[in-house]
Order: sequence, then C-alpha cells, then structure tokens
Amino acid sequence: MTQGDALKIFKSLSDTSRLRIVQSLTKGEMYTELLAERLGLTPSTVSFHMKKLEDAGIAISRKEQYYTVYSLNRRLLEASLFDIAAADPEQVDEQQRREAEYRQKVIDTFFEYGKLKAIPVQRKKKLICYEVIAENFVPGKVYGEKALNDIIAPIHEDYCTIRRDMISEGILSRNGSEYVRIK
Amino acid sequence: MDTFLNYLTEQIASGKAEIARLEADGCRDDADFAKVRTNIYEVCKTVTNALINHPGAGPKAVKDRFEGFQASWGGALENARKHGDARNVVVEETKLQALADVMAHFPEAAK
Repeated sequence: MTQGDALKIFKSLSDTSRLRIVQSLTKGEMYTELLAERLGLTPSTVSFHMKKLEDAGIAISRKEQYYTVYSLNRRLLEASLFDIAAADPEQVDEQQRREAEYRQKVIDTFFEYGKLKAIPVQRKKKLICYEVIAENFVPGKVYGEKALNDIIAPIHEDYCTIRRDMISEGILSRNGSEYVRIK
Repeated sequence: MDTFLNYLTEQIASGKAEIARLEADGCRDDADFAKVRTNIYEVCKTVTNALINHPGAGPKAVKDRFEGFQASWGGALENARKHGDARNVVVEETKLQALADVMAHFPEAAK
C-alpha cells in the first residue's frame, strides 16, 4: 500500500454518510436501494458514495440480476490503522507530481465525456488538450485527411483548426494529404 | 406571484440551514448536493424577479425559461448516466428535483 492509497482510505471515510454506509455493511451485504432506504438517501447518492468507497478499496460490488450488491473488503478493514498509516510515500518527483496534477486539472476543465468543450486560448493548455486528442492516433500510422477529420470531429466541431494547430505544434506531420502522429 | 416568491425565499433559507447542519455533521458531499439544490431555488428566484415585470416578458416567459432548464438538465442527466458519472448523476437529479418542486409551486393562474 502506498501513501496515496492510505490517503484515499482516510478521505473516503472522513464523511459521516459514508461511515454510516460502512456501518450498515458491517451487518452484511446490501444493495443500493436498501441502503438508500435505511439511510434516508436517494439511490443515486448512495451509488455516488459507494463509488468513493470502492475506489478506496473499502467496498466491493457485484451484480445480481438487476441489483448491485455491496459488501465490505474485510481484508482491508481488518488491517491495523498502524499499517495503513505506515504506508510508504511514493517516490515521485515533486515537480513531476505538480505537472501531472496541472495536466489533469486542464483535462478535467476542458474535456467532458471525451469531448473538448472549448479550444483553450493559452498555448500550454491547448497543447495538453491536443496531446489528449493525439492519443486517438496510432504513432507512425498514416492517416488520410478524411480519416483524421473523422477522428477529431466527434471530439470538437472545429476539426480544421485542431488539425492545423496539431501540425504547427509538431504533434502531427503532414505530407500532401497524409498525416502521421509524431509525438 | 408574491406567494411563489415567498416560497422560494423559504426554500433558500431552509436549504442554507440544511447545508450548515450537514457540514456540522461531517457530511461534506451531501452538503455540496444541498448547495446545488439551494442554488436552483436562488436561480429560479432571480429568473422570476428578472422576467416577471420585464416589458414583453411576464409569467409565461418565466415558465418557458424553467422548461428550458428542464430540457437542458434532463439531457445532462442522460449524458452523466450514459458515462457512469456517479457524481454528476446526483447533481443533475438534484437540480431536476428542485426544479420540479419549483414548477409545482408556480402559480396556476400564471401558467
């Protein structure tokens, strides 16, 4: 377990509603609707809290016909607080961590469900968005203009601007009407 | 229309009390959802105040605006469900529930 994992556990438990869910689950498996009824929350609110508990590894879910049944990850909950608190700090360079955090913030701001909401004005942010779009292209593979547009258009309607910018930023190379991802 | 505006004011006040209670109880995410709900009452009150006495607007314009919100947030809810975005599902559901409550209290004569 890393310090990041430990932080997720503590963060997800530092909410009374989630603690009440965990307390209910100590009595046995439960499905969303039953938890919602017991705790006076809407089923979607319970699903939201369950996702946080699952992400932290505290809860486990399984599908049973139409229902999602939740239970506790006993292995994790039976670990001592001492072991969790003693988790190793990740060996990540602080500068790298900040850059990754900034990059993720830009992606979360400008993308929604895989679509680019707006082309950023600031070059640094624009480059990050174009790098995300470039992940849809196989490096070294040759794309025709139509194939390229067909990939970019569902992401943002102004595919011409994006295509041109990606060439001028050195993300794509153009040879006649053939395009290749170069970074 | 005054009764309607008073109702919205009451909902805003009780929403703020609910936010404070949830925050004091350590239910931070639920408090955030209560903020979303309260904000809808605030938005509806602002829209009503702005349109109700505006020349060329009036109660129908208010109702049309509310229906516009309903369509837009309904689409956002579908989108969130489609992408399994648990947080936004709750946010959009909360907005729609508050809006349905607002519309149910909109004066019948003004509709």
